[in-house]
Amino acid sequence: MTSQSATLRRLFLMLFLRGRSARGLRRESAPKSIGSKLGLILGLYALLGAMALAFKGQTVFALSVSIHSMTFMFLGMFVTASGGEVLFNKDEADILLHRPVPARTLLWAKIRVLIEVSLWLAAALNLVSFFVGFGLPHGGWLYLVAHALSITMEALFCTGSVVLVYQLCLRWFGRERLDGLMTAAQVLIAVSVAMGGQLLPYLMTRFAGKFSFGQNSWWIGLLPPAWFAGLDDAVTGGRTPGSWMLAGLGVGATVVVLGVAFGKLATDYERGLQALGESRSRPRRGGPGRRWFDVIINMPPLRFWLRDSVTRAAFLLTCAYLVRDRNVKLRIYPGLAPMMALPLMFLVRDRSAGGGDFGVAFGATYLGLVPLIALTTLQYSEQWQASDIFRAAPLLGPAQLCDGARRAVLCVLTAPAFAAFVTLLLLLQIESSKLVLLLPGLVVLPVYALYPSLGGKGVPLSMPSEEARAAGRGLSMIGVMLAALALAGLGVWSKSGGWFWWFLLGEASVVIGLYGWMRASVKKLRCLSLE
Amino acid sequence: MISVQNLSKRYGNQWAVESLSFEVPAGQIVGFLGPNGAGKSTTLKMLTGMLAPTSGTATVCGFDLCREPLEVKRRVGFVPESGAVFESLTGLEYLEMIAALYGIQREAAFARIKQFISFFDLSFATLTEKLLGAYSKGMRRKVVITAGLLHNPEVVFFDEPLDGLDANAAVGFKALIQTLAREGKTIIYSSHVLDVVERVCDRVIIIEKGRLLLDGPPDELVQARGVDTLERLFTELTGGVELEQRAADFAKTFRP
Repeated sequence: MTSQSATLRRLFLMLFLRGRSARGLRRESAPKSIGSKLGLILGLYALLGAMALAFKGQTVFALSVSIHSMTFMFLGMFVTASGGEVLFNKDEADILLHRPVPARTLLWAKIRVLIEVSLWLAAALNLVSFFVGFGLPHGGWLYLVAHALSITMEALFCTGSVVLVYQLCLRWFGRERLDGLMTAAQVLIAVSVAMGGQLLPYLMTRFAGKFSFGQNSWWIGLLPPAWFAGLDDAVTGGRTPGSWMLAGLGVGATVVVLGVAFGKLATDYERGLQALGESRSRPRRGGPGRRWFDVIINMPPLRFWLRDSVTRAAFLLTCAYLVRDRNVKLRIYPGLAPMMALPLMFLVRDRSAGGGDFGVAFGATYLGLVPLIALTTLQYSEQWQASDIFRAAPLLGPAQLCDGARRAVLCVLTAPAFAAFVTLLLLLQIESSKLVLLLPGLVVLPVYALYPSLGGKGVPLSMPSEEARAAGRGLSMIGVMLAALALAGLGVWSKSGGWFWWFLLGEASVVIGLYGWMRASVKKLRCLSLE
Repeated sequence: MISVQNLSKRYGNQWAVESLSFEVPAGQIVGFLGPNGAGKSTTLKMLTGMLAPTSGTATVCGFDLCREPLEVKRRVGFVPESGAVFESLTGLEYLEMIAALYGIQREAAFARIKQFISFFDLSFATLTEKLLGAYSKGMRRKVVITAGLLHNPEVVFFDEPLDGLDANAAVGFKALIQTLAREGKTIIYSSHVLDVVERVCDRVIIIEKGRLLLDGPPDELVQARGVDTLERLFTELTGGVELEQRAADFAKTFRP
C-alpha cells in the first residue's frame, strides 16, 4: 500500500495547493499562481513572526510562550478551517470510496498533508524566533533543536486535536447531526484558539516576571502553548522543575491526542465518509426553516423593506444558505467567530484597566466586519453555476440581488451580533453613559455593509468558491480594522472633549454622502455577464 | 458473479432499500431501473462498497461485501451519476492517480489511457494541458468512464453513463458495453433512458420504494404485460398513469 499512500499524499497536497475546483484554468498557469500565493502567505507569516524581535535580551520562556501562543493560534485556525474540507469532502466519496483504498490509508494521507502544510506555516512564523532564541543568554544551538522539536510537536498537537474533535463528533452524535456539529465544532475550536492565543501573552504582561508553572500558578498547565514553551525552557532556558512538568504535559498530550485520533478512531473515518454520501433520512423538525423566514419577511418592517420581489428572493436565498448550506456555514461562522473575539478581549482588557470607553466604541465599530466578511464570503459557492439564473433573468443589473443579500446579512448576522454585544455590555455593568459610544459604530454600519456590493460583486453565490482564496479580502479587512480603530479613537476623544454629538453629526453627514454615492454606483451597474 | 440476499438500507426510520434479492451471472447486462428515489443509487453504492448495508448480504465476484470490501472494490468499476472528478487536476493526472490506486504501473497505465483516448476521440493535448474543471460535460463524462474501466474490472456499475455524451460517443459506448459483456464482464446499467436499456440489456430489474417490482428479460416482460415497449411497462408499474392526458391538460395552462 506504499504506492497508494504516496499517490494519495501527492493528490491531496496538489488539491490543497491548487484548490479542489477550477474554472477554465490551464495547467501552465495554475501552479505558478499557487507558488506565488504560497510564497506570499509564508512571507506574511514570517513577517508576523518578527514580533519575536521584541524579546531580545529576555528569557527563553518569555520568548517561547509568546511565539508558541501565536503559532498555536494561527496553526489552530488554519487546521480548523482546512480540516473539515480535507477530511470530509462530499464530492470525494463518488471518486474515491469505491476504489480499493483502506480508510486508514486515506485518513493518513490527508493528515500527512495537513501536518506538512502546518509545519511550513509554523516554520515561517518561527523563522525570526530561531535567530532571536539563538542569541538569548541561555539560547545557542540547543535552542534551535529544542524549538524545532517543540513547534513540530505543536503542529502535530493542533492537527491531532482538530481531527480528534471531528472524529468524536462523528462517534458520539452520528451522521444525522454531523453537518451541524462540524460547523459548531469548527466555530468552537476557532474561538478557543483565538482566545487562547490572545489570552496567554496578555497574562504574561499581567503577571510580568512571575509567569511560570508552579504551585501558585498551576493553571498555566491548562494552556497548550505553555507546554511547548516549557519544552524550550526545559532544554535550554531556566530548566526549572516547572518547565519539565510543562514539557512532560506537552509530550504526553501530543502522544495521547495522536494515538486516539489516528489510531483508535481511524476505523470510524470510513463510516464518516459514507455518512456524507447518504441522503438525509428524515425531514428536520419544523421543516427546513422556511416557515420562520416566511413569518419574518411578512412582518413589518421587513415586509416594507423587502417589497421588491427580486430583493426579497435574494434575501431568502441568502438566509437559506446562511442557515442550511454546510459549505457556506463552514466558511462564514469560523471566519467570523475569532474576529468577534477581538473586541471582547479589548473590552475586558480595557475595563480591567479601569476604562471601558475605548472597548465599547471599538467593539461597536468593529462589528462592521460582520457584514463585510459575510458578504464577501457569500459571493462564493460550490454551486456558483446555479447563479446563471440571475444572468438569464430579465434584470437591469445586480443591484437588487446585492441588496437582498446585504439585507439578509444585516438581519440574520449583524443585528444579532450587535444585540449580543450590547447584552454583554449590560452584563459587564458598563455605565449607561458609555453606551452612547455605540453610536459611531452603528452609524457607519450601512457603509461597511454596502462596500462588498461595489462593482456588482455582492451577488450571492455567484463565483466559484476556489476564487475566494485569491480575493483581496485581507486588505479590505485591514482597512476596516484601521477605520474601526480610528473611528473608535475619535469617538472616545470627542466624548472626553465634550464635542461627541458634533462628531456624530459630522460622521452621519459623511456616511449619508458616502452611502448615497455607493448606492448610486451600484444601481448604475448593468447586465450581469458570463465571464 | 453478483449475489444479493435481502439487502436493506435504512436512513433513520425510512427504508431506502428493503430486502432486495437477485443474482446476476457473468457476461450479463442488467438494466437497473426505478423512478426517482426508488433506491437505485443506494443499491449501487452498497454493491460497490461505498455504503454499508443495514442488513442483508451480497457477494461480488465471490467476495463478501461486508467482510472483504477491498477485494470487491478491486474487481468492480463504478461510473457514478454525479460525474465527480478532482477539477484542479488535468485529465491525465487524474487518470494516472486512479491507476496508481489500483497498483497499475505508470507505463501500463499510460498505454491503457492512450487506448481510451483513442476510443473516445479525446485530444491528448487537452488531457495533458487542461484542468478537468475546464472540460465540457461530455469530455468529463468520458474521463469518468475511463476512470471506471481503467483497471479492467470484472463487474462494472454504470449510473446514467450516457449523460452528457454526444450521439457518436453514445453509440460507441453502447457497442463497447455489449462487447464487454460478450467478453464475460458483468454490467449493471442504471438509467432513465428506457429505450436504450431495452436495446442494450439482457435483463431488467425494476425497483420502487426500495423493493423489487419486476425482474426478467425486457422482451419477455413486455410481452407478458401485453404492452408494446419497456417504457410503457415501466410507467404502468410505477404509477405513471394517463401521463399524456396530464401533460395535455397542463400545457393548456400556458395559453395566454
